[in-house]
Order: sequence, then structure tokens, then C-alpha cells
Amino acid sequence: MMKSRPSSHFLILLLAVVLAAVAHYSIYYGALIRGFETSPLVAYRNIGLLFLLALLPIPIAKLMRFRGNWTLYTSAVILFSVGLTVQYRLFTDPEYVLKDRKAEARQLKTQTLQMHHVQQTYSPEKKEMVGLPATVPRPVDLSAQKIRESTETAEQVLTSGRTLIPVFAILCFIGAIAAMKRDPVIAFLQRNGFLVVLLTLVPLLLAAVTSSAGKSLGNMTPWEPSKIPFLVGFSALLSVLYRNLAKTYWGVPRAKDAVPLVFMAALPFVPFFVLKDFGQMMVFSAVYATLFLLAVRRLPQRVVLVGSVLLVVVVLVVGALPLKTQEKVPLLPAVATPVKAILPDRIQQRFHLWLDGFNPPPPETGWWNDDYESYYRQLVRRNPELESLLAANPAQRERINVDAWFDVLAFQPAQATFGLNSGGVGGRGLGLGFVELIPVADSDYIYAALGEELGLLGGMLVTFALIVLVSAGVRTAIDSRDMFSKLCTAGLTAFLGFQALVNIGGITRALPMTGITLPFVSHGGFSLITSFVMLGMLMAFSHRNHVDREIDRGAGEAAR
Amino acid sequence: MTLVLMHLLIDWTSLKPESLFGGQVLERTPAALSLIYLLGMFVLLGLLVSTFLRQVKHPYRFEAGIPSEIRRRLSLTLTNRGLHIWHAVFVILAAATFGFHVYWALVAEDTNEDFQSLAYKDLRQRRTTALTLRGWILDRSGELSKALAYYRVGNKGLLTRTYALDSELSHLFGSELGSPGLERTLFQRKSDPMPESWQALTKIRRYGEDSADVRLTIDRDLQEFVARQLKGKKGSIVVIHPQTGDVLAIYSSPSYSLLEIDSLGRWIELEGNQRDKPLLNRAMREYYVPGSTFKLFTMIAAFRAGKQNDRFTSLPGGYVPFRGSRSITDANRGCEPPYGCTSLDLAQAFEASSNQYFSQMAVALGRDRLKETAKLFGIAAYDTPAETGNMNLISDFWSATDDRVRKGLAVEQSAIVTGKGISAYDLALQGMGQGYAGQMTPFQMALITAAAGNLEGRLMKPRIEFDAKVEPFSQVLSAKQAADIRSIMARVTEGAGGTATSAFAAVRSAGIRTGGKTGTAEKLARAFDLRTGKPLTERKTRRNADGELEEYDAPMMYERTDSWYISIAPLEHPTLAIAVVVEGGGFGGRVAAPIAADIVLKARSLGLLGDRYPAARSAERRGRR
Repeated sequence: MMKSRPSSHFLILLLAVVLAAVAHYSIYYGALIRGFETSPLVAYRNIGLLFLLALLPIPIAKLMRFRGNWTLYTSAVILFSVGLTVQYRLFTDPEYVLKDRKAEARQLKTQTLQMHHVQQTYSPEKKEMVGLPATVPRPVDLSAQKIRESTETAEQVLTSGRTLIPVFAILCFIGAIAAMKRDPVIAFLQRNGFLVVLLTLVPLLLAAVTSSAGKSLGNMTPWEPSKIPFLVGFSALLSVLYRNLAKTYWGVPRAKDAVPLVFMAALPFVPFFVLKDFGQMMVFSAVYATLFLLAVRRLPQRVVLVGSVLLVVVVLVVGALPLKTQEKVPLLPAVATPVKAILPDRIQQRFHLWLDGFNPPPPETGWWNDDYESYYRQLVRRNPELESLLAANPAQRERINVDAWFDVLAFQPAQATFGLNSGGVGGRGLGLGFVELIPVADSDYIYAALGEELGLLGGMLVTFALIVLVSAGVRTAIDSRDMFSKLCTAGLTAFLGFQALVNIGGITRALPMTGITLPFVSHGGFSLITSFVMLGMLMAFSHRNHVDREIDRGAGEAAR
Repeated sequence: MTLVLMHLLIDWTSLKPESLFGGQVLERTPAALSLIYLLGMFVLLGLLVSTFLRQVKHPYRFEAGIPSEIRRRLSLTLTNRGLHIWHAVFVILAAATFGFHVYWALVAEDTNEDFQSLAYKDLRQRRTTALTLRGWILDRSGELSKALAYYRVGNKGLLTRTYALDSELSHLFGSELGSPGLERTLFQRKSDPMPESWQALTKIRRYGEDSADVRLTIDRDLQEFVARQLKGKKGSIVVIHPQTGDVLAIYSSPSYSLLEIDSLGRWIELEGNQRDKPLLNRAMREYYVPGSTFKLFTMIAAFRAGKQNDRFTSLPGGYVPFRGSRSITDANRGCEPPYGCTSLDLAQAFEASSNQYFSQMAVALGRDRLKETAKLFGIAAYDTPAETGNMNLISDFWSATDDRVRKGLAVEQSAIVTGKGISAYDLALQGMGQGYAGQMTPFQMALITAAAGNLEGRLMKPRIEFDAKVEPFSQVLSAKQAADIRSIMARVTEGAGGTATSAFAAVRSAGIRTGGKTGTAEKLARAFDLRTGKPLTERKTRRNADGELEEYDAPMMYERTDSWYISIAPLEHPTLAIAVVVEGGGFGGRVAAPIAADIVLKARSLGLLGDRYPAARSAERRGRR
């Protein structure tokens, strides 16, 4: 077994860099087969970033005297390297990137591969009939082929957000370690728990004003950082309150102990209704329940608070179920109708996609009608005679409904599922799949892209790395000496773990798809920075455990 | 250990991976590199776990020195227990989520029906068909120059699928929309064009050998000729080789163009055309009343029962199956010329197409014998008329290389009714091809003809792929019986009273002996407005559920006279079994029979009549092309 020293982690990380280089070359070569070149500069940039991350343990250990657990760091970097690899696959594919010339890029690819096929397999006679020079079939020599070169310049690559955001995230990560290592910071946070919680509301309010459809300011999620104050504040409150809650008067705790917790319990539902973001609600309430169960001992209190969180979640979930599913339980549709009425359309769409995704709802359904109508009008604009044809032939309406469903709402999830299916066990191979067909596969749907090109093994890799990360986090929490650190560490771990599960579950249809990212793997701005800051905090807590331990040992030896 | 592995990997990358793995198949390089990547990552994770486990093995427990009764109640210990539980729950949840991935990757394909039925929505399929081109479809000669479906460089330099006979074969080939035809079924079964990475490693490509091409039994020139015969008419022609079951030509008119069907609007327009039903493959999926051509079936049943020498008498007033029933008369309300009202034998009756004879024969044969013969032809023999309403696609007729191809060629099952519930009158009507026998597809009639044309008296399984096995479907007759039946059928084209004698004069003068049977059948069909193409309706009254009279729009029907002809040629060694039906064509001997005669002559010029009739004017043929 290897010792868990910075040097052994440094070696593992170097290996990860080499493997990432192999993967990047695979993608590069896969693109050559399809007749275009993926930007080598971007590949160098990615390898450079990973190399930087591989080297980072040395200065952190030497200069910052960091003594904590490196497993956290290494597993996160492994996840990040997988993410960069899949992103390289996507962002260098012109068909995926070019919004306006998609069809052209697709056609050029198709043409290249068709010509390969013809050159290799068609006899001269056949080639002549096709209308090509009658040459003898022979292998394709890539070096003799015309390759469409990448046009990205060094300046573009270096100044793009895809370079700057990870660099900034790494800086934030170092900053988080440096800050959270220090006793005064921890003490301050612990004392001012409620104040910190209020910080949560700032990004949320900001987002509520600017957001639409769960994203704001383009494709960003600026409320991601609110996870940190939520968690720190909640841990601080709980680390004080859990003792007070044990004191009950006729079984009831004092109001001033219970009210802050009720307030915290309501917070997860804010993003849900304001931002129509179902995923964050699930992650926040799961973290809330985790921490509460860890800290609070009294069974009735556990039951009441966690029970009520669960109740609200269950009511909303049951309300959002598609009618077809509800009808399986007698009387349920009648009960669920009022809930359905207040649920945003988006939530209902997501639930239908989750449970009945391969069957389109009837066009009259409220949350589907608008999309259907606009699709239909577009068809009519192209074929003006369609309307009269359909009037004579109503059965065809169903066909249009199916087409509309799979071209509009179900397009992304369906293509993702087909991608998982085509990946099978070992995947199609990097650069050989059709991940460019899945819209926005670089962020929310990155697991689908991974599952297509690396298959079940790739999915297992990510799941496994995630379990290692979470296990290391849990270990850190167990080693913590005080309640605040324990809860805070557990909460950070739970946030990363649950968010990953909700994302992967959304793609594999274990849960409704929710539009949150896969930590460290997905391309993202705020979410990537937040993930790295959380990692930094986790590592700082791990470092503090070590220092505590050394002090303890010293004290023990002194006593002896 | 890490160092050794690192050295290995660095060496590999510096040694141009494509020369290591590439070989003939370009895809091998990325596939191998991806597998190395996956393997390496797992090794790496293993190393990471090993460092982590080593750390966990010696945990630091500050509370270790505290007595256990106190330790157990420490709040931090309690929280730690909670953390352990949470950890276990998380691992289980992660495994469950991954389980769903396993489901979609491996299980859904085989078990999830919704997923299967919508697999065509997978854009990858469209991409892979465009990338790894479909094989070419060749006609029975197997020559590239006679390819039926092939590729040409189209606009923007893309290769586009091109059809030598577009609308002539569209029903058989099928488009991307609608039920799958040969285009979709023939090439789907070929191995996955985009394999998984580990499969790509073992893939071998041989150059200059495109095994994907499929040779059909269709004769391109005959198919083209056959399609031209039905221009402007509605109907269908099927030509089968009786000895092998080869489908030489099959056409349903009106047809549509495969190239223009790309747009959804055009598709809906075609689908909505209730009057012409251009998407319907009439040859295989439309019921017709076979009329007198069905007398061949009755004759075969008679031979099987040993009743081929029975004589029946035609009466001026017609045949009355039982007291009080309606009578069955011949076409001209008396007895068929030239024999008139007299006692007829089977050959005379067949030549003159005597309704009275075959009605009496059917009753004499009885339900069970008819049912048994029907089974040999794959015709359903139902017990009650009500059952005939359910349409039933069957595909076990076909000799095909693949089940998917067979399903794509599924035929509407023809049917008769032989239950106890029907009267002798109904049975008698079926014997002459009317009544409940009015559910025959042209394809089925061609098969009945082919069985009579087979030298061994067998019904061969029809086949459309040249590589499918030649195998019998059933032994219908003995060789002797089949020969006898053919000589009786010859009287239709050669006898003085034969209904097709004049139509086949040219064939006879070319020295070709043929046998056949005409048919003229009335069928109730929906009437359509000639200008708008909308179905016509008429006001009728009926009693509703409460017993009150109400008016409603009933579809207006008219009696359409379909023209039929079935033919065997050449008589001594048949290579063609032809079924022709022209909707609303009128008298069979006047419309359908001349078409069949032309087909025989054309087949001769194409050399399809066997060695005894060499393609006489092949020089002229080449000149025409």
C-alpha cells in the first residue's frame, strides 16, 4: 500500500495528467477521422491546468504547512480531469459549438466518412457508377487527407472563460484553505451563525430578480455560492442549538431554540419556487435533513422537523407526477389537482419526462400546449396546405404531437438516454460517439456524454471517484473534534455528494432531471468555483483535525 | 510500481499510437486509447484507495482512553455513528443511481417497449446510416449496372440514395416514414456499424469487398414493364417463379415516389388520400373478390379429394343449394357458352367458367375439405363471418434470411369461411370466388397459381432475397395432378370456348403454351367525388338505440367490377405464375388477360421462360437500352 503523503499523491496526479493526455490524443485522432482538427492549443491548456493541479500539493504542503488528508484533493482532481476530457471532446467539435452553422459542420463530417467508406470498400466499377474516379479500393491514409484545421488562436484560448474560470477557481481554493485554516475565522463564523445565514439570501434575491427557467444572466447560476453561507450558518446554529434542544418543557423545546431551525428548513424551498429550480431544493433539503439528523438526538424532534420537510417534498412530488401515474392510485388525482395548479409548468414537464418520457402528453395539456402550438405553427409555415390535410386526416395529429415532443421538450433527455444506450459497457471510444447530438452536454448532461463515449465503465469511474471523495469527507468529519467542524465538514461532503447524485440520477432517469451540475466534472462558472471553494474548506478542516491531533499527542506526552 | 506503469504509458504515447493499433481500421486508435485511459484511471483510483485505506486503518481516536460507558454517550461519538450510517446510505444511493445507468445501457433495449418503439427517434441511427452507407440493392442478375438502389454523388457532394425504379418499387422498399420496407429491414440486421470501443479493436476490414450488397429476385426490366402496364389504372400485378418461389415482379398501382416522401406534408397528403390510397401495397395488403379465378382453388380442392371426374349439371334457372335459397346462375343469367345447359365435366366447366359447376363442386367437397386445402395455401379458414373482420398480418410464408425482413414483408392473410354456421348457399358462393371468399390478396392468388404451376405440385415459399433458401411451403398436389390441372388451365387460352383465347392469340403464335383463368368480380367500393377526391355520402335513415328513426350520413357505395387474370407460362415447364387485377377494369378476359399476355411475351424477350425459349431478340433489347 502506498503511504498517504503528498509525494504519493503527486505521483498519482502526474499519472492522471498522462492519462488525460492519452484521452486528449484519442479525441484529437477521432476528429481527424471525421475530417477536422480539434484545437491542440486547448488540449495543451487542459493538460497545463491539470499539471498545475498536480504540482499544487507541493507548495501547499511546503509553504502553507498543510498536513491534512490529500485523498480529498486527488479524487476531486481526478473528477476534474475526466470533466476536462469530455469538455474537450465537446468544445472542439464544430457541430457542437457553432450555433448557426451546425448543419454545415455535420454535413462535412458525414461527407468525409462517406468518402472513406467508398474509398475502402467500393470496387472501381461501383465508384464509377457513384460518380467518382474509379480507383482500386485501398486503406485511407489520414496524412494524405485534407483536414479542416482548427482556427483557435493562442490568445483566444488563454483569455477564454474556460481558462480563466478554472484558474480563478484554483485561486479561490487556495484562499479557502488559507482562510479556513485559521482559528479566528472559524471562531468568528461559529459565533455569528445567524448573520452568515442571512448572507444566503443575497445571491438568492439577486437571482430571483434576474432569473428565468432556472438559469440567469445567460446560462449562469449565480446562487450556487449561497450553498456555503447556508451550510456554515446552519452548522454554527445547530452546533449551539442541539444542546439547547435537549432541554424540553413538557416535551417541547423553547421557541428561541426551535424558530431558527424552522426558518432554515424553509430556505430550501425558496430556490424551488423563486427559481423554479427543483434540483437545488432536493440538494438543500437533503443536506438540511442530514445535518439535523446528525446533530439532534431527541426522536420526537427528529421526527417533527425532518418529517415536515419530507412531507412538503412528498406533497410537491406527488402533485407533480404525471396524471397517468397518479391514476394508478385511487383518489389521488382528486387530491393532487390543487397542488398541480400551483406548480410551475417546468416542474410538471420534468416530472412527465422522468416517469413517462417516451410518451408525449396530449396536445391539450396545459404545460405542453404552448410548445406544441409553436411547433405546429412552424410546420404550417413550411407547408401551408398542412392544415387542410390534417383536418381531413385527424390521426396524423398524433404523429405531429410525437414529433413535436421529441423535437422540443424530450429532445435532450431522449438523446441522452439513447446515448447511454449506445455506449454500452465500454463506450464507443473517445471521439467516436455522437455526443454532439445532445444539447448542452458540457454542463448538465455531461454524464450522458461520458456514458456514450466511455460507457458503463466511465460511469463507474465517476461514481467510484465520487464515493472516494465522499468517504474521505466523512472520514474528515469523523476525525473532527468539535461539533461545528463536524457538521460543517459533513455538510460540505453531503452537498458535493448529493448534488452529484441528483445530477447523475436525472440523466439515468432515477430522478427527474433538474439542471444542476455534476461537481468538478461539468463545465461551469459559479458552480465550479463553489465546488473548489468547498473542497478547500474540506481540506482546511482536515488540516485542523491534524493539528488538533498533534496538540493532543503533545499534551499526552507532556502529561506522561 | 507507479514508475513502471508510467514508463509504459509514456513509451506508448511517444510511439505514435495509430501505428500500434490503427492498422486497417482507423477507429481502432481512439478505441484502444480510450480503453487504456479507462484502465489507467481505474488503476489510479485503486492506488488512491490504497493510500486512503492505509490512513483509515490507523485512525486517530482522541476518545480512546475514555471508559467505554462514557464514550458511548458522548455526543461526538453519537454523531460519528450517524456519519457512518449516512456514509453507508450514500454508497447505496450511488450504487442505485449507477444501476439505472446499467438499465439504460444494457437492459432497456430488450425489455422496455416504449424505448424500443421510439428508437427511430435516436438521431444516431440516422447519422450512422448516412455514414456507413447502406448496401446496394441489385436485381436478380446481380449486375451492378442493373442495381435497383445505389448511391450517387448528389448536391453539396454528399452521396444520396438513388433508385433505378423509384415509384415502381416504392411499396417494396418502403420509406423512412411508415411501416418498414426492405430498405429498413435488409440493412438493419447487419452488424452494428458503430461498434463499442472493444469491438472496434477486433474489427477487420477487407478492402474492395462490400458484403452489404443484397441481390433480390426481382427482375429489373420485368418490374419496369409490369409497372408500365398499370399506368393510370388501379390494381396490382404479382409475378412469381413457380419452381423456386422467386418473386420476379410485384407492383401496386397507384404508387408514390420514394424521393419526394421526405417532407412530412407530402407524406400526410399521401396518407390522407382515401380515394387512391397510394401508400397501400395492394398486392400484399388489400382484399379483393377473386371471382372466377378462385375456381382454380376449388379445382385443386377437387383433385385433392379425388373428385376431379365428377360431373354436375347446369340448369337454365341456376343452381339452388337448398330449398328456398336464392339460386346461383352463370354470368349471362343462363348457362355459360359454348357448352350451354348440360352436364359438364371439370375441364369443360373450367374452360367455360361455369359458376353452377363450381358452386355444386364446393358443396360436394364440403367445409372440411375446403378448409384443409385453404390451410395448405396459408389461407385462414374461419368458423364465423365475424372473424374475417380482424385483419391479420402473417409473414411465415416467406423464405428470408432474417426475421426482420420477413416481418417487413408481412402479408394480409387471405380468408374464407368454412364454419358450421354458414349455409350451403354461402359455401357454394365461395366455390366460385364470391361471398366470403372475397378476401383474397393478389399475392395469395399468385401463390395458388404458382402451386398449380409447380412441377412437383408444391407450393414453394416465396422469396425476395436471392440468398434466401429455396424451400417448399406445402405439398399441395401430386406431380400428376398438377400436370392435369395445367392442361385444364390451358383450355382457357387454347380452347374454342376459352375466355382468354383471343387475348392470348399473340402468345400462341409465338409458340408459347400457357394456362390461365379469367375473373370478373363485383366488389362494393366507396364512391369518391371525382373533382375533390372526398368520399361521397348519402342520407339514410336507421333506428337508433331508442328505436326511433334518425337520419345519418352513410358512405356512398357503388359496385366496382374488378378484372382478374391468373396465368401459368410456359405450360410444359412453368417459370411464371402471374396474377393481375385491375380495379374497375371490367371483363377479365378483355383487360387483365391482355396484360398477362404482354407480360409473358416480355418475359420471353428477357429470357425468363427457361432454356427452351431463349431471349430471341436480345440484340434489340440491348439496342433499346
